[in-house]
Amino acid sequence: MLTMIFMMEHFIMKSGTSAGFGTQWFLKMSPDKQDTLLKMMVLTIAALLSFSTRLFSVLRFESVIHEFDPYFNYRTTRFLTEEGFYSFHNWFDDRAWYPLGRIIGGTIYPGLMVTSAALYHLMWFFNITIDIRNVCVFLAPFFSSLTTLVTYHLTKELKGAGAGLVAAAMISIVPGYISRSVAGSYDNEGIAIFCMLLTYAMWIKAVKTGSVFWACLCSLAYFYMVSSWGGYVFLINLIPLHVLALMFTGRFSHRIYVAYSTVYALGTILSMQISFVGFQPVQSSEHMAALGVFGLCQIHAFVDYVRSKLTKEQFNLLFRNMLLLVGILTTLTAAVATATGKISPWTGRFYSLLDPSYAKNNIPIIASVSEHQPTTWSSFYFDLQMLVFMFPAGLYFCFKKLTDANIFIIMYGVTSIYFAGVMVRLMLVLAPVMCILSGIGVSGTLTSYMKNLDISRKDKKSKKPDNSYPLKNEIATGVVLMMLSFLITYTFHCTWVTSEAYSSPSIVLSARAGDGGRIIFDDFREAYYWLRYNTPEDSKVMSWWDYGYQITAMANRTILVDNNTWNNTHISRVGQAMASPEEKSYEIMRELDVNYVLVIFGGLTGYSSDDINKFLWMVRIGGNTERGAHIKEHDYYTPQGEFRIDKEGSPILLNCLMYKMCYYRFGSVYTEQGKPTGYDRVRNAEIGNKDFELDVLEEAYTTEHWLVRIYKVKDLDNRGL
Amino acid sequence: MDTHAYLVLAVLFLFCNGAKVRQDTINGDLVLSKVERKIDITAHIVKVHSVVTVENGGSSSAGFFLVALDPSLQNYISYVGATVKGEGDKETPLAVSQATVDGHGDKKFWRVQLPMALLTGKSIAVAVEAVYTHALQPFPTEIVQGEKQFVVFLGNLYFYSPYKTTTQTTIVKTFSSNIESYTKTKPVSQSDNTISFGPYENQAPFSEAELKVHCENNSPFLTVTSLERIIEVSHWGNIAVEEHVEMRHSGALLKGPFSRYDYQRTQDSSGSIKSFKTILPATARDIYYRDEIGNISTSHLRETDELVEVELRPRFPLFGGWKTKYYIGYNVPSYQYLFNKGDDFLLKLRFVDHIYDDMVVDQMTVKVILPEGSKNFELKTPYDVVRNKDQVHFTYLDTTGRPVIVLYKSNLVEQHIQDFELHYTFHQLLLLQEPLLVVGAFYLLFVLVIIYVRLDFSITKDEVKESKMRVASLVEEVQNAQDRRSALYQSYDDAINKFKANKEAGALAAARKKIDGDYKQLTTQIQGIQAQLKVEGSDAAEKVAEVNKLDRDYKELINLAIGLAEKLVAGKLSKPQYIESEQANSTKREEIVKKMEDICAGL
Repeated sequence: MLTMIFMMEHFIMKSGTSAGFGTQWFLKMSPDKQDTLLKMMVLTIAALLSFSTRLFSVLRFESVIHEFDPYFNYRTTRFLTEEGFYSFHNWFDDRAWYPLGRIIGGTIYPGLMVTSAALYHLMWFFNITIDIRNVCVFLAPFFSSLTTLVTYHLTKELKGAGAGLVAAAMISIVPGYISRSVAGSYDNEGIAIFCMLLTYAMWIKAVKTGSVFWACLCSLAYFYMVSSWGGYVFLINLIPLHVLALMFTGRFSHRIYVAYSTVYALGTILSMQISFVGFQPVQSSEHMAALGVFGLCQIHAFVDYVRSKLTKEQFNLLFRNMLLLVGILTTLTAAVATATGKISPWTGRFYSLLDPSYAKNNIPIIASVSEHQPTTWSSFYFDLQMLVFMFPAGLYFCFKKLTDANIFIIMYGVTSIYFAGVMVRLMLVLAPVMCILSGIGVSGTLTSYMKNLDISRKDKKSKKPDNSYPLKNEIATGVVLMMLSFLITYTFHCTWVTSEAYSSPSIVLSARAGDGGRIIFDDFREAYYWLRYNTPEDSKVMSWWDYGYQITAMANRTILVDNNTWNNTHISRVGQAMASPEEKSYEIMRELDVNYVLVIFGGLTGYSSDDINKFLWMVRIGGNTERGAHIKEHDYYTPQGEFRIDKEGSPILLNCLMYKMCYYRFGSVYTEQGKPTGYDRVRNAEIGNKDFELDVLEEAYTTEHWLVRIYKVKDLDNRGL
Repeated sequence: MDTHAYLVLAVLFLFCNGAKVRQDTINGDLVLSKVERKIDITAHIVKVHSVVTVENGGSSSAGFFLVALDPSLQNYISYVGATVKGEGDKETPLAVSQATVDGHGDKKFWRVQLPMALLTGKSIAVAVEAVYTHALQPFPTEIVQGEKQFVVFLGNLYFYSPYKTTTQTTIVKTFSSNIESYTKTKPVSQSDNTISFGPYENQAPFSEAELKVHCENNSPFLTVTSLERIIEVSHWGNIAVEEHVEMRHSGALLKGPFSRYDYQRTQDSSGSIKSFKTILPATARDIYYRDEIGNISTSHLRETDELVEVELRPRFPLFGGWKTKYYIGYNVPSYQYLFNKGDDFLLKLRFVDHIYDDMVVDQMTVKVILPEGSKNFELKTPYDVVRNKDQVHFTYLDTTGRPVIVLYKSNLVEQHIQDFELHYTFHQLLLLQEPLLVVGAFYLLFVLVIIYVRLDFSITKDEVKESKMRVASLVEEVQNAQDRRSALYQSYDDAINKFKANKEAGALAAARKKIDGDYKQLTTQIQGIQAQLKVEGSDAAEKVAEVNKLDRDYKELINLAIGLAEKLVAGKLSKPQYIESEQANSTKREEIVKKMEDICAGL
């Protein structure tokens, strides 16, 4: 694919001056038409490719939502399509966070659901009777196709059509973006990246033209972005940063003034229409930079006006005094507003962005999520491959010819590379700019070396060796070939990563059998389906929060905590129940009205992300609040400080509820040849507490491979017994 | 479908039946001289097979006789059928219909039409088969995992009949020899898993006595509580069938915990249902087995010549009281089920199909989706069904919607697997509607694109762009003219060669004159275009001028070549001399042509 782009690019450059290759009809077209046709072809192929490369999981397994988190989005989308927008908006979900419940309409970004519902209704209007599930499954690939097109336009504005095409081709298969947008991963990020790039493209357009029209479009795109992802905060800080940089470099002009004033005013008002965002844009400190820059814009414009009317001395005097006054006033207002709580302090997730160790030390719930961990070096290469090396080249080309638009992409690149380093999840924000800058880099390199390539007819007399530049043709050939091989390895790497790392669903597990066949562990759905049809409809299920969304969506049962980890104390209570001995937990479970408890146990199959491995987080989060102060992490370690489940393990661990639920009756099972009964294949140890009975729980269901175990909480004993 | 709707339907159903049922009287002359009854309670349904010998003791012949249902079992009745043994032991089915009798409003009767009127004094042996569902009550009603299930059967010790019975025997066949208790009205005997009652002599009409058997029954008590069968007919040669099944283990409820360890250790999971086999038509293709949350990956397919057997395994084993839900779908080619004569179509398909052996379906809905434009529906069913109001279904490429025939029936068993017939008319030309729709849509799209591209919708005039377009068209003209002019060069060469061969100066002059004329015309044309290009201010004008200059050089060279040829023919020039100068000439000409081509291509 990239090779093809490469050839096409070459051809676009050459077409019109010489007849390279191609059929007669093609040559008969005017160069303009050839150009359009080639661009369309490259873009179409890139868009198709970005759609189809994301289908691995659907083709290998089936068309369902494959991940844990998106089940919530899927459930809400279904609700939206069935019940309509207003009931969705007013939806109080009593299936989650029992007994608190959750106001769905006011606590989510509805963009994703509204988009799918709109597509669904549009298709049904034309009698295309596609299931809402399929709309959800294929939404992310569809939007990544659109992202490809938007990337082309954005890069075209920055550098030119050639760079645009390369960037589009690159973003269509970049693993950093694919990781969040494969078919079946129905996440906000899937459409948010499209919205983000669209907003940027519109912003660049607005900055370049200084027209209110483009600025309005930009704020509409911003509104869409706000409605779909919390990451819009990055955007509303980046655009002011760009404006600020333009001011410092003396590039501030009426165009920028018009663009930013319109975008900020309209965009803020629009963003406040999303009920989850509410008044944050004028209250929270994360949005203050935008407001500040807006004010600065007005001042700058005013100063420019005054300057044009006054003499230099008068102006200097005025300027100094005003600056002092305004500075003091602003500081005072900000201080008072923060002190009185008019401006909310920064949230934990935001702190962890600025200080990577903040979360680890203060908020275990944020640190426990793997996608909030700092990024390792290898994952940069894994997710971006050659882009890591081409990115500086792109930056170089941008610096070489600084424009208002280029400054923007430089700011975007530099800030996002910092954020991506702080949090794995933000790799997603980095991937597009990496593609854009690499596109500029690759295209710039190729354009300069292609010119030196001597591919004109052999019989031309003009072939005089240039003495100032020996081996000109050979070097050019070498560079072009090297770039070609980079692009080819990039395609192979991307396809390999997509197929191996990002396309294995987490609700269905598969393993290779001894005879080479595939074994499928469909235990999650087995358990959820059992819950759905064989428990009373109002039963409350307690599980660790990771499985909350899935249980509500697939089992349709009430749960205590879910992936929307908004209430720390409630999650902590569940953590305490899991970490306490049976009698203690029973009190907590009675208090929370729990009917069933669900645990994930991988000891029989060797599934390593099970609840025992997550257990220390439960202990930490459980012990993080006042009521759980008696739960101390070191009690669960051996005196040597190890976390062990065998005989050596801490007795507190061996008798806590989680341990008992996972290993109930496991002590009599043979799991591996030559090993004693009750041999845990994840921890590679024989369990320490084998023969025990449960007093307050009874086994309600265990799936075929023991992956999911469900226990029923017994009623209180009859009085007198 | 919620239960409320079913209730309404049930009432409707009763009402419909009530309207249809005919009034009969009991013919006192008939006597059942011998009744052999076999009650099969080995599965979860009760099959009663009675061979009844009817004797006409009256003076007039009888065309039918009545079968009454046991009051203890009549609420469980699912199916009644009757056969008579014809020649060569062939069983001929008899027409059976529901009937009521005056003064016996509380009882249910079925009227069996005899193959021929029964004359006075004659007798006939008729086999009556009745199938009852949910007639076996588990006792105890709750058992723990691994415990054996026991059931109680409550029936009538005597054959319940509106007629006098002379002699009768009853054999009860149980699941195993593990029988807890049974009614001991003598004569009675038990051996292995059969209990024989009788013979009992001379029983009055409607005599009753309790027959109770309490025995082990570990057969799977699987009940389909709701079945929706959707048949979508396409006239393009396909019938898609989809069945939505809700099922429940209707045996003794599971008490206490379910232990996966015990379940895996003792594989003979008594009473629980791990999997079952569904038989589909032999031509079934693209079979899928899913539920609300996706594919159910545990199923096996076995294809033979006569049938396709699918082993379906629910996501979890079913224990007493556990429920599950799934759907299965497949395609069959329509030629086996859809027949037509002109515009009249006949769909002949099973009303209900096999789900598992000894199946029980509590509620069933059949939806037949016919192609858009079908009308005049006429339905023939092998047994009474309730037909609801037709619905309309919209799917791909529909405009007015497809008609849907909706049918209901409750309490079905394997014996109900029979064909229904649906006659309808469909105008064959309508078959083209959908392809034409697609073609039309694409046509429209292309037309719109063509219009958009060809016409200028901008409100401001873009001079630069327009000039560019004019230049482009002029350039194209130049290129065409130049192509033709190069063809003329070739003609000159041909004329010279011809002259060298036949040495006719006259012919050469004539040819030259003709070509010169064409050439002049083309040259003026190109010059005209060049002037126009100059007006547009395009740098192409200079290039065209250059081409013209080259062309003049070329023309001179041609003239030179002609002169040389003339000299050669006249003998003023020796052959080697000619060849030498001619070669120089033609190399120069080639170079000029190449240059002109390059310039033209680069325009």
